[in-house]
Amino acid sequence: MDKNIDLSKYNLSDDELFSRVEHDVLESEKITAPRYSYWRSVFRVFFKKKINWIVLGILVLLLGFTYIYPMIVPFDRFANVMDSTAKHLTPSAAFAKYGFSIHYLLGTGPSGEPMFDAIWHGSRISLSLAMVCAAINMIIGVLIGSLWGFSKKMDIIMNEVRNIVSNIPYELLIAVLVLVMSRGFWTMVFALTITGWLGVAYFIRTQVIIIRDREYNMASRCLGTSIFRIATKNILPFMTSVIVTFAALEVPSYIGLEVFLSYIGMGIPELTLGRMISENQSAMLVPGWGFEFWSPVAISAILSIVLFVIGQNLGDASDPRTHI
Amino acid sequence: MAKYILKRTLHGIISVIIVTGIVMLLVYSMMSRDQIFAGDPLYTKVSTNRKITYKYEMWEQYGYLDYVNYTDWLTELEKNGEIDPEDRKKAVSLGKTPEVDTELVAKYVRQFTEYYKSKGYEVTRLNTVTMGKKTSNGGQAQLFAAKDRPLILRLVDYFKNMFTVDGIHSVEDYEGDRGIEFTLHDPVYGGDTFAPAIMGKGTKHRYLLYFDNEFPFIHQNLLNLNLGLSYSVNRGIDITTTMMKKQGSWVQREVTYPTGLTEMSADNLHSAMYAAGSMETGMNAQRFTDNYTNVLLYRDGMSRMGYSFLIGILATILSYLIGIPIAIWMAQKKDKLVDQIGSVYVVFITAMPSLAYIFIVKAIGNAIGLPTTFVMDKFTWLMLLLPVISLALRPIGSMMRWLRRFMVDQQNADYVKFARSGGLSEGEIFRKHIFKNAVIPIVHDIPGAILFSLVGALITERVYVVPGVGGLLITAIEKYDNGVIIGVTLFYAVLSVVSVILGDVMMSLVDPRINFNSKAR
Repeated sequence: MDKNIDLSKYNLSDDELFSRVEHDVLESEKITAPRYSYWRSVFRVFFKKKINWIVLGILVLLLGFTYIYPMIVPFDRFANVMDSTAKHLTPSAAFAKYGFSIHYLLGTGPSGEPMFDAIWHGSRISLSLAMVCAAINMIIGVLIGSLWGFSKKMDIIMNEVRNIVSNIPYELLIAVLVLVMSRGFWTMVFALTITGWLGVAYFIRTQVIIIRDREYNMASRCLGTSIFRIATKNILPFMTSVIVTFAALEVPSYIGLEVFLSYIGMGIPELTLGRMISENQSAMLVPGWGFEFWSPVAISAILSIVLFVIGQNLGDASDPRTHI
Repeated sequence: MAKYILKRTLHGIISVIIVTGIVMLLVYSMMSRDQIFAGDPLYTKVSTNRKITYKYEMWEQYGYLDYVNYTDWLTELEKNGEIDPEDRKKAVSLGKTPEVDTELVAKYVRQFTEYYKSKGYEVTRLNTVTMGKKTSNGGQAQLFAAKDRPLILRLVDYFKNMFTVDGIHSVEDYEGDRGIEFTLHDPVYGGDTFAPAIMGKGTKHRYLLYFDNEFPFIHQNLLNLNLGLSYSVNRGIDITTTMMKKQGSWVQREVTYPTGLTEMSADNLHSAMYAAGSMETGMNAQRFTDNYTNVLLYRDGMSRMGYSFLIGILATILSYLIGIPIAIWMAQKKDKLVDQIGSVYVVFITAMPSLAYIFIVKAIGNAIGLPTTFVMDKFTWLMLLLPVISLALRPIGSMMRWLRRFMVDQQNADYVKFARSGGLSEGEIFRKHIFKNAVIPIVHDIPGAILFSLVGALITERVYVVPGVGGLLITAIEKYDNGVIIGVTLFYAVLSVVSVILGDVMMSLVDPRINFNSKAR
């Protein structure tokens, strides 16, 4: 290269020119690839789909109403219970009576309570129950499930345990625990999770067994990688998408379970979505009373579906194979 | 295969026994035993000391404890000749308090107390409760011994008494010759029709084996299943009877009684059971020649289990008939419109609480004028439509989801590529290659789906007021009916064990590659 060329003529600085680099034996052993961050890729794939933005927007709105709205707006179910003209109003009748306000957007319920406030207070408890139960189940289930998948001895024992425990009706467990402890939120959490984790653990166990004996893990073990490293580096990334997908199913299923238990009269005493549905059941076929029955049904359905869709798509996005 | 089934069956039996044990532990030890009286009308009527002894009698009857009353003990002594009748009459009248007992009473009380204390019983004496000078109603002095039954004993007894064979010595106080008779012409049908029957004398049931015109046409009473007595749900009745007994209004038909009297009646003589001294009461003398008079009635409805099974099996059939073709269609048109619509349906039906979509189905059904409640007296097949649809929606969804998944997974398999390169049409590949492989996991669930139709569906039955068996467990738990809880749990556990084994058998029938015998599976 000729050093005499006037660089300023081409508007270039000295650093931009090629320069000779010493050959380094050690450096040349390194393989460079584009920087890969797992979670950044997950969100990149997730947000590439338009539908996820929409569903996520709905979820944020729902969560806002579920957790922030009840904090701002106090709710007393029986505030209007003495006023017989305040009960079972359609939205338009409620607006005529109280003037337009957001509280009466869904009319009033059987005790004259504004349904719009009632469903958010109800969904706060229902959703909290579902999320707490799902979280506990997932944590215990994943921990025990991965051990269960790795250890052959544990597999024999746990399979028998599962055969037995899955045959004990959980309704009975709830009833017994309610009698022994007291009826309430945490008793219900305890009753639902005491056997609930087994299902998660069994699912994880099956997944671990499937991945455990794959060729690349065999190869890894042959090369002397420790079990811990195989578990965290080879198996866990594969499991993340499975776990996320499964967790996505857990929360809606617990919302459904809460509705079911309230319907059969074994729910918690607080005003949950399930309790509202079972109490207002008779209003279903009465003309003009539809709102008080259908609004909790609709909220539980929408919440479940939104959480389910987000979970499914997040699960898809967290599968490393979709990151290419 | 046979060896595998045997092994699984043994495992299953052990699991079922352990489950029953755990459930017994839950209901007998952890639930307060006073709860069982909550729905008992008799309990509110008795008072003071009688109430206490009534409680112990009931607890004994329902397996909580062993209980011996002083009076019964004396009667037993008299039977064995250890005390003469005169003494017994005197000894039985306890004093108002232990201090005022006569010498004879005190002697026997001491003997009773010592005898049962040495056997680990707890002996209780209740003094007379008085109102003014008179003994209050039920306030007589009482002496009794009681001992809690250990769980193991209860479990052993439960399984020991589960199957009973009705023999000619089953009825203790049967008068007359015991024996078994065989007839080719069942007297119920007038004595001329050819209908073989085996009848017992001294057995609990009159008919041990007989034919009639109801499915499965041959019936037996020889081997009886006792899952446990109900306390509050259906007092004193065995659970199997509660589930299997016909419901509805009576149906009269021409019946020939043992005396030869022929008249229109709803009595089902085939169900006749022994009831001591019942022949003289009411109309029985004209009709019966012995004490086998306790009969069930012909009714026009089905049993609780019958209705549950009818709805369940129809829903299962419907779900396979609709789910499989749609799943295949979705897999063939992957990522096309059909697949997308189907996926939306799957998301909705799996995510939504079942209560929500059942109510939606009911509301839609109501709007287009379908019957939304089940009326047994006016049974039409149309009444089954909404419950069956409600039950089938979720299985259809899961069929679409899984079968589609399995088929899509198979589409890239080597054998499919090979078939395609061999020139087979897409339809042929789907029908003959992919479907056959994808359907194997689905086949595994068929026995379970059919068997669990027997259990009934709680929500569907409640929403449409179907008199089915689905709510039995919940009702039992609500009413603290231990016998029913244990019996129903056992029934469920047996069903789940059997359906897994049958599922494996089905799978190995469909797919010859599946072999449960080989060790390296």
